[in-house]
Amino acid sequence: MGKNVDDLAQLKQFKEWFDNRHEYAKKWKKKTGGKVVGYYCTYVPEEILYAAGVLPVRILGSHEPESITRPYLHDMYCPFCHDTLAQGLEGRYDYLDGVTLAQSCLHMRQSYFSFVDRVPNIEWDYYLPFPHGVTNPYAADFAKHEFENFKAAVEDWLGVTITDRDLDRAIEVYNKNRELMTKVFEMRKADNPPITGLHAMYMVVSSQVVDKAEHNEVLEGFVEELQDVENDREIGTRLMLIGSEDYDKELFELIEYGMNYPATFVFEENCTGARYFWGLVENGDDRLMALAKRYVYRVPCPAKDWARGDFFGRRRFQFIEEVIKDYNVDAVIIAQMKFCDPHELDIPALREMLDNMGVTHLHLELDLTQPVGQFRTRVEAMIEAMGEEDLFI
Amino acid sequence: MPVAGIDVGSKLTKVVIMGENKKVLSYVVMRTGTDHKKTSEEAFEEALKKAGVAREDIKKIVATGFGKISAPFADEELTQIMAAGKGAYYVRPTTRTVIEVGAEESRAVKLDENGNVKDFALADKCAAGAGSFVDAMIRYLEVTPEEFGQLALQATRAIPMNAQCVVFAESEVVSLLHSNVPKAEISRAIHDAIADRVAAIARRLDIQDDVLLIGGLAYDIGFIDSMKRELGREVYVPEEYPPEVIPAIGAALSAL
Repeated sequence: MGKNVDDLAQLKQFKEWFDNRHEYAKKWKKKTGGKVVGYYCTYVPEEILYAAGVLPVRILGSHEPESITRPYLHDMYCPFCHDTLAQGLEGRYDYLDGVTLAQSCLHMRQSYFSFVDRVPNIEWDYYLPFPHGVTNPYAADFAKHEFENFKAAVEDWLGVTITDRDLDRAIEVYNKNRELMTKVFEMRKADNPPITGLHAMYMVVSSQVVDKAEHNEVLEGFVEELQDVENDREIGTRLMLIGSEDYDKELFELIEYGMNYPATFVFEENCTGARYFWGLVENGDDRLMALAKRYVYRVPCPAKDWARGDFFGRRRFQFIEEVIKDYNVDAVIIAQMKFCDPHELDIPALREMLDNMGVTHLHLELDLTQPVGQFRTRVEAMIEAMGEEDLFI
Repeated sequence: MPVAGIDVGSKLTKVVIMGENKKVLSYVVMRTGTDHKKTSEEAFEEALKKAGVAREDIKKIVATGFGKISAPFADEELTQIMAAGKGAYYVRPTTRTVIEVGAEESRAVKLDENGNVKDFALADKCAAGAGSFVDAMIRYLEVTPEEFGQLALQATRAIPMNAQCVVFAESEVVSLLHSNVPKAEISRAIHDAIADRVAAIARRLDIQDDVLLIGGLAYDIGFIDSMKRELGREVYVPEEYPPEVIPAIGAALSAL
């Protein structure tokens, strides 16, 4: 008899890190005496911070209603921007020494600048320009130049020199993390995937908030243990999640554990899923160019992957198409953060592509908290309609 | 052996008892109230009594509606979307677009020629396209539901209402009353505003004839008139059965 994935110590560790991310960072700081920098978008080259001995942690929200961000952010800015800023204003990030953002969208930028201005413990901040059109042939050169400035700013702040050796070490740790998480995702191609979307979310998001070397140690054991996992849950409809950052466990619990019909996520194409770790840094003599290429050529965020003026086609759509085939996806849930313009711009074209592929899809709009009853009806109805036969008359 | 469909809505609970030959033996509509379980039980018992069927003779019970979990005696559950689709196809097989406006939610369902659900769209967190909006407006205009619908037909001009939510719509109605705008025109403005919201949901689908309007608001002739105008096509309502029991019929059909 195989093991149950929920009993694995590694999974419990991911969940523990996810649930207690602030406590982890505080302990890390106490233990190492190092600096902690919060980052706002997954386009920040964390390796440069890590090479300088800094712990980069992704700034996340808490999915709790708040009313303190309205003086700084318009109501129609996305809930993620409000939620992350609220955490800073409420003092939950009181251990951060610095904060940084790689340019992604305007909502995020406004939230970032408010965070910098209003959270008192921030001693260092860096706005990192990042190319908008990642399909532009000059994008990697642009990014490399900006990474040079970023590196110099980190060195200046900490009074250290980041050597090529430091960068190599950081790239190695980060690549290992990416490789291991990709391995776990590959296992989800199986008829009976060893993990659910909820488990994957715990794994990926915990990697964004803890020391990657420590995460790697647990991940290695996880990959090993997953070989022997035998789940007794019914897989049901194989779902793919596409969209904005999504680390609300309620959504996964509802769709994978709380419906009338069985359903399991087999892939998450978002920045709390595959978009974060897919694609390695191909290191070489020019470390910063290697990093620039990885971030420019990774599976892009819709804010970066334009519908017009591209040179190589829609890279994200090509990726989605491949995943649907490789992972035997039955249906796609497009879960978009409310008011997220880049996603809203992409969704009509995405729907058209899915229609042409004959893949069922459902659009859900994510908010700070989710309307569980409404979502349940929609997803159940989608599954009912997929399985419907000509029943009567 | 007969089957039953039960639809526990936010305002009304509907039960249908159906024979094996797909014939509706009885139906009951009851206010849901606050004790959903008690109401479900009572409505079910009454429908059995009306149909002259013993409880133990019911082969299967399928529940739908927002409160479907409040009918623990049901054997299976079905979403409101499928229930509306099946019920609509049963009462009018030429239906390709079902528009349901209930007390708290409105939805549109696209059917193929075999009655299968091809697509659907639902209102999001907004009461401006739902029956509770009408309830609030009726209270404000101090008319009966019947008068409210009739009044709209008497309007001689259309007044635009921008309100996107019930509370702001009320304040617009107050302003119109203070400006001595006749109730008929206010009624038409409200109906048009609801039809505008509901049509926006339906337009997310590829609307095809026939369009069948179900749910409590299909009683309102002012609303039917506004929907016809808004969609620019004929809008049908169920003839044989009350419009609010159609999803319960759909639930019963799926129990067969």
